[in-house]
Amino acid sequence: MDLFNALTSAVFDVLLAPFGYRLAWFDLVLWPVLAGIGALLVYKKVSNQAGIAAAKQRIMVHILAVVIYRDDILGVLRSTARALGWNVRYLAHNVVPLLVMIVPMTVLMVQLVAHFAYRPLEKGDVRLLEVALDPESGVSPKAVQLQVPQGVAVDAGPVRTPDGQVVWRLKMQDEGDFTLRLTAGDEAQNKALAVGGGPRKVPVLRSKTWEALLYPGEAALPRKSAFESIRVAADERDVSPLPGGEGGIVLWFFGTSLVAGFLLRNRFGVTL
Amino acid sequence: MADRRTPIAAAALAVLALAGCSPEPPDEPGLFVLGVDGMDPVILQRLMDEGKMPNASRLAVEGGFQSLGTANPPQSPVAWSTFVTGRDPGGHGVFDFVHRDPKTYLPISSATPPVEPGEAIELFGWYLPVSGESPVNTRGGTPFWDALHDAGVDVEVYRIPGNYPPTPSDAKVLSGMGTVDMRGGYGVYTWFTDRPVQGAQHLKGDIQLVSVQDDDLDGTPDTVRGSLKGPPDLFHLPPGQIPGDADYLTAPVTFRIDPDRDEVLVEAGGGRALLKEGEWSEWMPLGFDALPAGMMNLEGIVRFYARQVRPHFEVYASPVNVSPAAPAQDVTTPSGFATELYALLGHFYTQGMPEETNALKDRLFDDDDYRRQVALVQEDSGAMIDLALGRFQRGDMTFFYLSDIDLQCHMLWRLGDPKDPSAPPHPAFEPEAAHTHGQDIEGYYRHVDQVLGRVLDRVPEDTLVIVMSDHGFQSQPRTAHLNSWLRDQGYLVLKDGKRTGQIATGDVDWSKTRAYGLGFNGVYLNLAGREAQGIVDPGAADALLGEISSRLQGWADTEKAAPVVRRVFRARDIYSADRVAEAPDLVVGYDAGYGCSDESTLGEVVEATLEDNTSRWSGNHLMDPEVVPGVLLSNKKIPGTGHDLPDVTATLLSHFGVPAPAGMEGRDIFTP
Repeated sequence: MDLFNALTSAVFDVLLAPFGYRLAWFDLVLWPVLAGIGALLVYKKVSNQAGIAAAKQRIMVHILAVVIYRDDILGVLRSTARALGWNVRYLAHNVVPLLVMIVPMTVLMVQLVAHFAYRPLEKGDVRLLEVALDPESGVSPKAVQLQVPQGVAVDAGPVRTPDGQVVWRLKMQDEGDFTLRLTAGDEAQNKALAVGGGPRKVPVLRSKTWEALLYPGEAALPRKSAFESIRVAADERDVSPLPGGEGGIVLWFFGTSLVAGFLLRNRFGVTL
Repeated sequence: MADRRTPIAAAALAVLALAGCSPEPPDEPGLFVLGVDGMDPVILQRLMDEGKMPNASRLAVEGGFQSLGTANPPQSPVAWSTFVTGRDPGGHGVFDFVHRDPKTYLPISSATPPVEPGEAIELFGWYLPVSGESPVNTRGGTPFWDALHDAGVDVEVYRIPGNYPPTPSDAKVLSGMGTVDMRGGYGVYTWFTDRPVQGAQHLKGDIQLVSVQDDDLDGTPDTVRGSLKGPPDLFHLPPGQIPGDADYLTAPVTFRIDPDRDEVLVEAGGGRALLKEGEWSEWMPLGFDALPAGMMNLEGIVRFYARQVRPHFEVYASPVNVSPAAPAQDVTTPSGFATELYALLGHFYTQGMPEETNALKDRLFDDDDYRRQVALVQEDSGAMIDLALGRFQRGDMTFFYLSDIDLQCHMLWRLGDPKDPSAPPHPAFEPEAAHTHGQDIEGYYRHVDQVLGRVLDRVPEDTLVIVMSDHGFQSQPRTAHLNSWLRDQGYLVLKDGKRTGQIATGDVDWSKTRAYGLGFNGVYLNLAGREAQGIVDPGAADALLGEISSRLQGWADTEKAAPVVRRVFRARDIYSADRVAEAPDLVVGYDAGYGCSDESTLGEVVEATLEDNTSRWSGNHLMDPEVVPGVLLSNKKIPGTGHDLPDVTATLLSHFGVPAPAGMEGRDIFTP
């Protein structure tokens, strides 16, 4: 997981570097459009184009039959059933391209989110540092210690909860890229914090679960770590007029790549 | 050949218009009005004389300062409605905080009278509405912002009292005092505690007696679970039924207590806040599902206050405010103004009276707790006025309301009389609190002066700045139970010879009752043909009103050797005719130091007629208008004196050359 994140991050840090973090709108338009084109090419290559065309044609035939023979109840039912049957075949033709595309598309989307969804914290901001312990580690929340660098102050906490969480309230006193150090017995883990300065990749979550794949901004936690996750929530970056934040970028990515693919399908000779 | 420049110019203008830019700046000075609820001319004069309000002094020297006649009765919703419309209560129809329904004799809100319940289809315990009306604001007259907006003036109005529900308008208006919380109340808080509260049923909040549980069974209690009530669960309530305690939508809240530290982690609405004792959280959004599967999710916002974690658990949750990010009910016009403000400010108080006076009255808060909360309100208000000032341009009109002084005078007068420092201690005087908070009212006046300084610094130089208040203030050491007095005088008769009871619980014998009190200053005759069980012949009404007035003016406080009532007014003598039929027949002008009890206001008859006011609600203004005038300050010379609220309204319009709408009564204060 960590290797995968490191590799994909390295690639996209280079790919996105020419345009920097400030021109978010450029990357957020360019990459979904390229993803739509890429998806078309993949679709053309791996899908059964003849089968898809045939399925679409049969669906249309049976829908027409429903309209034309609307006085014949049995005929309408039969045509509806056949249209549905061909619909299932049409969807089946899409499974392979979907499986081929799902990983690269998700990676691209996650990287766009990591690069553009959040803004660095501001000097004076107060945020919660939320640490969840792996219940199987047997480590008590009381054993967790936090060291903060100069520039970050512990404002309140820790509050240790019965379900194995430890929460601090931190105050950002200076601008900079900081590292928090958490220890639990012999284990020590770091958590990065971005405060002030220009737009950049903002670390949000370290986790040892699958969630780490969604937050490639920092290394995943080791599988044997007593820590399950370490989080400092970040604010959404304003990328208006485009929609911002995790949800906004995900929706924008899907919408733009779909529209691009649909508009360019004839130019690339693809039957969708 | 067609001139190609025309479409280009038109396009340029369209772009400018779309960008919100005016091609040419307006050539007339703007007008900024600071409406300071409850600012008293005597206190202001003293503080200016002592050099403690330099910005107000600057205005007084450069322009003018004088008393401003208030409304009758001098209650905030009445006075502000008078200011808003430039009409007396007979014109706008707001006569008191509390009106009454002559069919039932029950008290009703003057802001949002009840509407007839609609019809609903019942389906498996769900009530699906098929008809019905929403409550509307019945205030009559034309608000000044509509007259200005219609004339093309860019007008913005922040936190105007008495405008909930907002009257339809294209002007940008944020409603203030009178705006309800999500429960539909005027500040219904929630108090989570593991210590029983005496008389909890009489308090103005939801008292949740909780236990601190030991979730991980390690012998240390660590978790408290409770819930917050939101709007009534209307899809499970038959139309017209008043919601009971169990009829509200709820949202869960969990408190995690650290085993060693007196700190608490609040988990509500998917968010978290970590609080030390004595700290308030930021606003936390909460969702209330009115329909399953998120088909109708109503968003509210709440703040938590960790008053004490150990030895007793005491956490206070503010009333759940309507979220400006996604208002479940309109608090602005146009509707989108709330979200526009949210985008610029984040969450803010939308509840009409944001100060947690109920918690202080109910003695859940002490004065330190209260001051902390008022500081939040000031912070909230400060951010909003900075925004308003940032948007203000030459030629604009902005009104901004400040609640700082009114509610603090109500709550803190007991700790030291700012009007007469030599006055004897108030019956609710608390020596220890007075030591720390005895000068707080002065501090709130000085805060208003700082806000005024910001206004003067930031508005364009030729802007007309007016500071006005709706009324002044007096101490209220004594409480009058008007209905008990009416009983003793034989005008109000209870059933079965009882001496105490309530109108609402059917204790009044209407077949023998000739007059009753409802509202803070109102007396109504039990008039035949008007009241459901009226017995007073309309032909005998005048004589009876004269008799009651005369006796009221002779009501003496023998213990203090002082008159209780200064003047009594007949509605028809002081109000214009439009809506005088809805007014109380008599308006009681209490003398300085006296005010109607909460009990009598809502129709209760208690044993005593007069008693010491031991409530923390210790300053008041619900008296004869002459003893509580307001304040008028301006950076322009005011030639005459004797102005009252409608004169300020008329001035707002005449400043922009806008003709006064029909019925508006005032005259421009700057016209000799």
